[in-house]
Amino acid sequence: MQTFLHRRALCRPRKLHLWYGLAALPLIAAQTAHAVPAYARQTGSACADCHAGAYGPALTPYGMRFKMNGYTDTDGQGTKIPAAIQINGTRTVPAKGQSSNQLSEADIYLAGRVSDHVGGFVKVADYNTGNNKFNTQLSDVDLRFVAKDLKLADKEALIGVSFNNNPGFDDPVDALPAATLNGPPTVSGTLLNPSSSNTLAHRVYGASLYALYDKNWYGELGTYNSLPTSMQNNLGYRISGDPGKLSDTVYARFAYLRDFKRQFVSAGLVGLTTKRQLPRSGPSESLTDLGYDVTYQYLGNHENIVQLAYVNIMERRRYATTPFGPIPGLVALPRGVVHDQSLTATYVFKQSYGVTISHMVSTGTHDIVRYVPYGEPDTSSNSLTVFWTPFGKDDSFTTIANLRLAVEWFHFNKFNGSSDNVFGAPPGAPMTNARDLNAFVIFASVAF
Amino acid sequence: MSQRFLEHGLRGSAIAGLLIGWMLASPMVRAGDASAGADVFKSECAECHSPKQGKNKKGPSLFDIVGRPAGTAPNYKYTDALTQGKWTWTTDKLHWYLSQPARKANPGTRMKYDGLDDPKQLDDLITYLGTLH
Repeated sequence: MQTFLHRRALCRPRKLHLWYGLAALPLIAAQTAHAVPAYARQTGSACADCHAGAYGPALTPYGMRFKMNGYTDTDGQGTKIPAAIQINGTRTVPAKGQSSNQLSEADIYLAGRVSDHVGGFVKVADYNTGNNKFNTQLSDVDLRFVAKDLKLADKEALIGVSFNNNPGFDDPVDALPAATLNGPPTVSGTLLNPSSSNTLAHRVYGASLYALYDKNWYGELGTYNSLPTSMQNNLGYRISGDPGKLSDTVYARFAYLRDFKRQFVSAGLVGLTTKRQLPRSGPSESLTDLGYDVTYQYLGNHENIVQLAYVNIMERRRYATTPFGPIPGLVALPRGVVHDQSLTATYVFKQSYGVTISHMVSTGTHDIVRYVPYGEPDTSSNSLTVFWTPFGKDDSFTTIANLRLAVEWFHFNKFNGSSDNVFGAPPGAPMTNARDLNAFVIFASVAF
Repeated sequence: MSQRFLEHGLRGSAIAGLLIGWMLASPMVRAGDASAGADVFKSECAECHSPKQGKNKKGPSLFDIVGRPAGTAPNYKYTDALTQGKWTWTTDKLHWYLSQPARKANPGTRMKYDGLDDPKQLDDLITYLGTLH
């Protein structure tokens, strides 16, 4: 997803050792939900059954089960067309720079069941890159085979395989950055954060084996490899964002989920380790993400829903090179650690009116050579979103199509290690402060 | 005088007996709170069942469920386990069915429901289901 702000500051450092220093500005993508009307038609369910705000992406426990069941649940009334369309318009008002109104995105979803055991989700997105020029990308893919209603040690079990292109997107809890589309804005984020530069999202392919045991215990183990750069290009992605050549990549997830019907809690661990050559002809670096997440939902009778989620992912890096800095004697550290954290709270009234508040922090080990100019990659931001989704409930005008109107304020406290002059402009040159990256965005989305 | 009093007493007893019998046989037998039951329905049932007539979800519509023979909601594809059950959804049957895991009550059913432990909620729910017609 490349939004206005994302594109505005997307830049790749010319010096390789700055690869981790400056990369991409925030990924304000939380409004492009994954509520797919094709699923509503397939199951007879309303959008609101799977998504607290009736438009996603945040899932209810029922939505999580639908996902784990491989998108195969049905109302049993014949085959439905497994396709849906979403159109987004935005008005972006940045704190600094020109405001814009545009038809920002049009998506086609191929989503639904093939059989009781096979189902999937494929999103093809057409993004407005400015001046009404559109770029088509293959976005998230999640194809599943699932064996349901198994018995293991006299307990219910489910085992499945997910073929996907975004580590964490297939997660049922829907708290990990890839699933929420709400990773912390960062200049040096973790592999599991799609907002990071040279992200794995949509540029890799992989498979994972997952299982749900006794309704509460979820485990997943998988591996990924990066797509050839030519294929990334064919799928609509710039080669400059190549995640590099990956090897020995392992993704693991373990979570405890408990659905009390009126409340839901989960606690999980996630890990991703890989060796990466970036650029592909260069030496190999070692990256390991380890994270945990906790979530809580109060659902009650669904009139007042509260969803809370906290995610903390740490990445340990053993860099491939230790370049020298601009001053003699300065040399980059051979190892480093970065942290991505997000705390999100959502309240939804009558499954229609909602507010979401997020606090996101990305921090890292001080390294004066890698993180120019201050040696700190630290970025801290907040977002406040107010939304209205009039349809998609059992008692609304339509249960299988929806409209979402939202406004979002995005506020930066710190970017690239500083609140002021974040890019270290020399005296007399125009400065960019963290607050200059703030933005107010109005979204209008329809899905049918 | 005493005979007249006796006749009145017998007639009163008969009417009371009829009333009690009607109450026992009616959907209101468990004297639940339909309004509270609507809330229970939203949290326990609504994801898979609609209260609307003809609206099937993952499970069949529960419109007019009380008194309906099992496995007969229009246009819903049931498992054999339920169509071969040959019972009618009386309030007592619903109470029996919903107070335990669905797959224990009806082995072979697709329905994944653990049952409702809270007796008041169960009474409220069944009372609410009795209003769906």
